[in-house]
Amino acid sequence: MWNEPREQTRRRFLGDVRTGLAGIGLLHLLGDGPGAAGATAPAAGDAWQPGRGVTHHPPRARRVLQIFCPGAASHLDLWDYKPALERFQGQPLPGEEHFVSFQGKNGNLMPSPWPFAPAGQCGKPISSLLPHLARHVDEIAFLHAMVSKTNTHGPGCIFLNTGHVTEGFPSAGAWLSYALGSENENLPAFVAIPDVRGEPPNGKANWSNGFLPARHQAIMLSAQQPIRNLARPAGVGPEEETASRGLLVRLNRAFADRHPGDSDLAARVAAYELAARMQLAAPEALDLSRESAAMHQHYGTEDGSELKAAYARNCLLARRLLERGVRYVNLYCASRASGVDGLLNWDAHKTLKADYERHGPILDQPTAALLSDLKQRGMLDDTLVLWTTEFGRMPTHQAGTTGRDHNPDGFTCWLMGAGIKGGISHGATDEFGRRAALEPTTVWDLYATVLHLLGLEHERLTWYHNGLNRRLTDVHGRLIREVLA
Amino acid sequence: MNVGHVHSAGVGRPGGDPLALLAGGLSLLLAVAAHPVRLSAGAEPALDFAAAVAPIFGRHCVRCHSPGQPKGDISLATGADLAANQYVVPGDPDSSYLVELIAGDDGRRPEMPKEGAPLSAEQVATIRRWIAEGAPWPAEVVVRERSQADASWWSLQPLARPEPPTPAGIAEDWLASPIDRFIFARLDEQGLRPNPPADRRTLIRRATFDLTGLPPTPDEVAAFVADPDPRAYERLVDRLLESPHYGQRWGRHWLDVVRFGESNGFERNVLIHDLWPFRDYVIRSLNEDKPFDQFVREHLAGDVLGPNQPEVEIGSAFLAAGPYDNVGNQDAVQAAQIRADAMDEMIRATGEAFLGLTIGCARCHDHKFDPLSQRDYYGWYATFAGVRHGSRELASAEQRADRAARLAELQQRRAALQQQHDAVAQAAQPGDASGELAKLKEQLAEVQREIAAVPPLPTAWVGTRVAGEARGPFHLFLGGSPQRKGDEVWPASLAVLDRCVPPYRLEAASAEGDRRRALAEWITHPDNPLAPRVLANRLWHYHFGTGIVDTPSDFGYMGGRPTHPELLDWLAGQVHVQGWRLKPLHRLIMSSQTYRQSSGNRADAAAVDSAARLLWRFPPRRLSAEEIRDTLLSVAGKLDARMGGPGFRLYRHTQDNVCTYVPLDEHGPETYRRAVYHQNVRASVVDLMSDFDQPDCAFATPRRAATTPPLQALTMLNHRFTLDMARALAERLEREAGEDVPRQIGRAFELCYGRSPTEGEWAACRELVAAHSLAALGRVLFNTSELLYVE
Repeated sequence: MWNEPREQTRRRFLGDVRTGLAGIGLLHLLGDGPGAAGATAPAAGDAWQPGRGVTHHPPRARRVLQIFCPGAASHLDLWDYKPALERFQGQPLPGEEHFVSFQGKNGNLMPSPWPFAPAGQCGKPISSLLPHLARHVDEIAFLHAMVSKTNTHGPGCIFLNTGHVTEGFPSAGAWLSYALGSENENLPAFVAIPDVRGEPPNGKANWSNGFLPARHQAIMLSAQQPIRNLARPAGVGPEEETASRGLLVRLNRAFADRHPGDSDLAARVAAYELAARMQLAAPEALDLSRESAAMHQHYGTEDGSELKAAYARNCLLARRLLERGVRYVNLYCASRASGVDGLLNWDAHKTLKADYERHGPILDQPTAALLSDLKQRGMLDDTLVLWTTEFGRMPTHQAGTTGRDHNPDGFTCWLMGAGIKGGISHGATDEFGRRAALEPTTVWDLYATVLHLLGLEHERLTWYHNGLNRRLTDVHGRLIREVLA
Repeated sequence: MNVGHVHSAGVGRPGGDPLALLAGGLSLLLAVAAHPVRLSAGAEPALDFAAAVAPIFGRHCVRCHSPGQPKGDISLATGADLAANQYVVPGDPDSSYLVELIAGDDGRRPEMPKEGAPLSAEQVATIRRWIAEGAPWPAEVVVRERSQADASWWSLQPLARPEPPTPAGIAEDWLASPIDRFIFARLDEQGLRPNPPADRRTLIRRATFDLTGLPPTPDEVAAFVADPDPRAYERLVDRLLESPHYGQRWGRHWLDVVRFGESNGFERNVLIHDLWPFRDYVIRSLNEDKPFDQFVREHLAGDVLGPNQPEVEIGSAFLAAGPYDNVGNQDAVQAAQIRADAMDEMIRATGEAFLGLTIGCARCHDHKFDPLSQRDYYGWYATFAGVRHGSRELASAEQRADRAARLAELQQRRAALQQQHDAVAQAAQPGDASGELAKLKEQLAEVQREIAAVPPLPTAWVGTRVAGEARGPFHLFLGGSPQRKGDEVWPASLAVLDRCVPPYRLEAASAEGDRRRALAEWITHPDNPLAPRVLANRLWHYHFGTGIVDTPSDFGYMGGRPTHPELLDWLAGQVHVQGWRLKPLHRLIMSSQTYRQSSGNRADAAAVDSAARLLWRFPPRRLSAEEIRDTLLSVAGKLDARMGGPGFRLYRHTQDNVCTYVPLDEHGPETYRRAVYHQNVRASVVDLMSDFDQPDCAFATPRRAATTPPLQALTMLNHRFTLDMARALAERLEREAGEDVPRQIGRAFELCYGRSPTEGEWAACRELVAAHSLAALGRVLFNTSELLYVE
């Protein structure tokens, strides 16, 4: 019925239009339960049903903050200290003297322009470029041996977000929206906050619902860009709005009544109620003026650097959204590539030092403030934080430059918060940071672990599409037990 | 060499209950040669490897441990593989590492198999005994994972010629159409009866949206409702099929199936400006009722079938209509992978659109569910190897000749002028001020301008053909990696259909275009059962909202099972009978009582079949994104009916080395064309269209979702487009119904719903109009379910 023939279970469950509304939340009415087109039926006797907040096993985390630094943020200059680069500075990379990578030929080994200093109780060496974030190392579990399938930004970014290098697959936030539904019916389950400089490489494919139903798409918003079409249009006064809404509800209810049993029509009435509630709730969530001056200062929202201040506002916004029950916030620090490498994002091909002296401070204080704030509010107990980038960079400089080329063979991501053991490093690159050498991990392993913490088995979270029951972890994924608390 | 198949239990799931959802699980096939049975004289017969041991490897090991599987680093597929990995010491099970791995110790879970249950004690004993006997492994035995479905799978059988049943109790008017007889019989099995016929008002709205994607006008509704002709409905269907809007509506369906999009996707995602002729070709072909087999052949090999015939060649833009990565990559390994990804995209699009086969799943390994091998997949790889994405000239012989003649004439003139000029210049004395030289110079410049002004031949995004890339030999890629070449392959038909369709295999040296033509002819061969089945099911899917098979591009194991297998084959047979023309098939389907029944819900029937898959009612549906936008424009009197040409855009874009798309807040009159003419780009979100489930064209979309998220409400209430259309509707109402508010409201209901308002509706609407405006009423009506749904 209404194009969703596999919805039998839900229809029966809902029964009558109005009585159905009383028993369960509005959003569930709009949901795509186990029988929806594409969803696979859970095995008999299986209590788990997508979209109802029910998990496979007790969860450690209820929501996720994913901080994404597009452009391939260099592991060698931020998190992964390699003294060998200093010792062998200017010498060829053993075994790969004539290596040709993404942009072409590579020169000799190049140490990081920034010294690393031990940080926290664990004494983990962190780049002096990130003094604020260094204070959080005791809560961070680093994955130092991440590997990617691709050395190209766009596919790399969507690989990190969707588990696939080609477009059209749902991102992690969309999967979570499908799996668990929303915690707060007045706000979207999944929000993407792009950087003030623009969208990341491959744009909106990074937060796409892919083949999952449209309601699992991320709502794109930021401190600079409110939700599209949220506000009542200029020219429609409040009285006209009330009267129009009243007539609309009346006509739609009457139509639903003339078609008893067709619950889609009730869902449409519910969707308008929800939209109205979102119109009230979202502006409040987005209103940063409700935060104290001290809080603004803590994050750096008034910083002299406009880019840093804009990112800081987005960090503050991310906290407000998470606090109000948004399941998944996909927060970006930097954007797509531009005509000049390294200017708009972490893609430092030519002038690493100058580029990262711009990007490091934008990321550092606001992100650290966000982490402290989450901790102070007790939110790290059930919020999982991920820091990700699409791949790493070469230990050598690019021929003729003082930058580094793309390196998908070894790079760093990290986890923190709910269910994560802090102050540890899992996996390692070789002594030059060229390749993952010990305990390599993939994005599939990362998301197998993320889903596990959220109470979901990654192999059971599936959606039928064009011949396969698709998963966030494709046909891979291994739980990284070493990082679990 | 695999010469035979040893089938383990459960071969070929029968159709089963078509309403049941798929069961999971994976069984395995052991593909082995006919093997000698070894007997050691006088003793207990030695274990038969193929019968006793190979199935254990097949079921528990080779999923990971076979060539090309990156998961397990060793292979247990052949005796040679076993020898290479030295996991077995023949004659000495206790020293064999394999035994250590599978046996476990002291109650600890054995290390292997990593996934699934450990081997039973009996299985371990069998393997020990086999090793003790010297671990014989006949060279011809290859252990392979078996797909779930085999060649006996329902969709791979030749078309049946089922006789329409005559169930007892069938009403007279349900006897005329074989479709109704099949449908009634299946309903009867479940103890169900169909609904009564829909009224004429409902029927014209249903049929008009179905065939044109637009609402009927109030005049059309009135005329049809009052038409005394008993054949009024048939004439209505004929009229709609003749409407040019038919091609726009059904063309949009097809563009979904062939993942048509006008940007390349991936990181750069740049606009493609000359793929629109393909859209026009699709719409034109449907309006002309071009035989669909011809249409398919043109998709795969139009450039070969009709060189210098742009209207035929353009069909092959199908191959290049999908996304592909065009970021230059200096890393040779990555570059090869990117090329393989682009090929994969074409292979998948072809298999899914025409055959309902998810052949893409056989890229890294043999298909786990369907009987398609890597060999099949790479046979198609060789078939398409000469195709690259891009534009090229697309012109008729006449256009080419005209242009060449025009240029030749101008060049001749220029040569003559140049000669004159040179002669005059030579003869001229210094200081000679006769104007002749200047005049000649001017004439030369003029002819030069004319040469430059001769328009170039038109181009289109049909892809380029690169003979060099099509040069064999071709190999399958182990694990899907271009760096790991396996056996040689040739452009060839899919082996699993050899029993039905005459197979072919072309030489490695065959011409690039011949390969595609051979594939196209094989797909549309009269004995190929898949192409007509898939086509018939697509038509049914779009008419009724769900196909007889509810996964229209997947007729394999993971897809749905037909609810009415006999009806499907009967319809597929009609594809041949009607010469692959769609319009007669639409008539057949739409003239059935099944199609003409009402959509009323009945609790008793819904309790048995809530989704109405058995069609005890006509399943109502929500309009698609395109229909909604077109309907608003049409009702407001603003629809710009111009056909063809480059599309319009509901976004602005910025482009440096990548493109970024930002949805427009205001949709001007230049966007008032039918939505099929929107220049859809990949990975972009457009107000209204994306909200109402217009899919991202990153993939083929054989079936759209119809969801109801709150964002639809926000967009439909608050976007400027709604307000503009509401205002336009108000102006139209004033124009057509004068000052009288009740008449305006009546007209609004006729335009939006094809009916008059009830007294209560009249009163409620008058209140809003009186307190606010007529435009306010329009905004409300555009948001009503009655407008957005078809009964």
